[in-house]
Amino acid sequence: MPLEIPKDKWPGSVRTVTLGAAAAEGGTRTKTVTIGGQTAMPYLHFEASPPHPPAVAVEIKSRPPEDWSPLLLEAWGELVNDPAAWAKKAEEIGADLIVLALTLADRPEEAVNVVQSVLRATGVPLIVWGPGQAEKDNELLVPVAEAAKGERLVLGICEDKNYRTIVAAAMANGHLVQARTPMDVNLSKQLNILISDMGMPKDRIIMDPTTGALGYGIEYGYSVMERLRLAALQGDAMTQSPMIVTPGFEAWKTKEAKVGSGVPEAWGDWKERSVNWETITAITLLESGADIVVLRYPESVARVKQAIQELMTA
Amino acid sequence: MYIIGENIHIVSEKVKEALASRDREFFMDLAVRQVEAGAKAIDINLGPRKKDWAEVFPWIVETIESVVDVPLSIDTTNVDGMEAALRTIRKAQPILNSTSAELERLEKVPLLAKKYGAKLIALTMGSSGIPVEADARVSIAVDIIIPRLLEIDFPMEDLIIDPLVLTVSGCQQYCPHLIEAVRMLQYAWDPSPMISVGLSNVSNSVPAENRSLINRVYCAMLMGVGLQMMIANPFDQKLMEVIGWIETKDTSTPLARLYNKIAERIANSDEPQIEDFDLSDPEQAAVWKTTQILLNKVIYAEGYLNQ
Repeated sequence: MPLEIPKDKWPGSVRTVTLGAAAAEGGTRTKTVTIGGQTAMPYLHFEASPPHPPAVAVEIKSRPPEDWSPLLLEAWGELVNDPAAWAKKAEEIGADLIVLALTLADRPEEAVNVVQSVLRATGVPLIVWGPGQAEKDNELLVPVAEAAKGERLVLGICEDKNYRTIVAAAMANGHLVQARTPMDVNLSKQLNILISDMGMPKDRIIMDPTTGALGYGIEYGYSVMERLRLAALQGDAMTQSPMIVTPGFEAWKTKEAKVGSGVPEAWGDWKERSVNWETITAITLLESGADIVVLRYPESVARVKQAIQELMTA
Repeated sequence: MYIIGENIHIVSEKVKEALASRDREFFMDLAVRQVEAGAKAIDINLGPRKKDWAEVFPWIVETIESVVDVPLSIDTTNVDGMEAALRTIRKAQPILNSTSAELERLEKVPLLAKKYGAKLIALTMGSSGIPVEADARVSIAVDIIIPRLLEIDFPMEDLIIDPLVLTVSGCQQYCPHLIEAVRMLQYAWDPSPMISVGLSNVSNSVPAENRSLINRVYCAMLMGVGLQMMIANPFDQKLMEVIGWIETKDTSTPLARLYNKIAERIANSDEPQIEDFDLSDPEQAAVWKTTQILLNKVIYAEGYLNQ
């Protein structure tokens, strides 16, 4: 008996967003990255294949990270002292995007310099995060936005307590913004409304719904993302932005990834466990609709990219 | 619509202050004005009062009964406080608000209601929290609450079931289920149990300027499925107006017609349709958007009206 597979046909779609600008568009990127455009739930190829693969970003910092796992520091070695070289290496091992996280110690001119040196060293689009303290974020991101005018950077992280200055700087200089809310569909939508109300074109907003690592609340993150994506496909314009999530950050703060000694032997090899934690967290989030996953460990990049290739195959 | 006035509630700063200073005039005035505004009973929620219940509960009952004759709804989790209030009541048959379906509560509170001849509000909430699905809430009423009341020979006409309204801001998926729970609960027993809800809960943690709109649209939907009793704010004139339109089937203005249409659609297990609304009228457009968030069709956000 022939089996009729039921198919959903959705009225809405995820917004198509392009990161980075090539010379012809006023930037200096040799590669740009386009995400979004989905018209079905993730990887249901029998309904509609996603028009663009999700992108893998690698997170680097403007100064050597102080609180990162020794495994990460060992893997990147001397590169952590040189953001430009670090970014270049990340691109070589397959990063589609670089996330450059600025720190509280950076002065505005240092932030501008490090952004420019990373842009010179790489051809992929760049996401720049402030250190995460409202005043300092604004102090650093405004000059960065101006200095990199036209590059279509993603500036982050906009949160409901601090988004106006970052959005205004992005609007004035042709960049995008990352809009983060704490794992809640209502807040996620609300921040999108607030940012759009400022006049930011909707195709320059990327939602960051926040997530948890495997074993640390990933199921909440998963269902929030699933719900946002369903609403997007149903046609809710304020949930149609592509989604960025940070499995690297989340996975590397778990005990399983952070701690190498004094744990049960059954937990197995520390490095392998950590890479698995980051990789499985990332792939789970891809399945729930992530368009950009931000990773930290070099080996995870290869594994997640391999998984993406398989997911994209109908 | 039998409205139990909700305004004597400890979340209000004014109520908190008036209670601290035992300001009789304040409570007398608030009770009288609620009754004048259309409340048929007065809810009294001063919290559990763990330390001073023995003094506070009789004091508030005596204060309010000195100026109004309507039933008082004793809204607390403190069983001792409940009894202190019930013992003081001299006028109308009181309402005990409430018991849940947790065994410990069901053990004590219904007996207290029976002893003092009070009506009893029973929440469809078991020990494992509030179920989302409508039929799960009905099951709690039918499988747990009603059997317990039969067991103690409680007069079933004094039972009021509250299937629990939760806020659209954060528990949006509960909103349509509550409507269905109200519809189904009327068939939970013969004769139909009374059903009451705490209407304003639907707009908890919603910005103040949007609360009344959400409350009255939800009220219209709930009246569609037959709701006849609720704890609500009788000072909300627009809410009272909508109740009046639906009760009298008033269709003399476009807005009155619209609210009746919403109630009718819900009554027929249907949903409000966009063609029911004149979207060029900003008020009707706002009502349309509100139906969509309450039916969980569009994700709620504080700025949902601006979308």
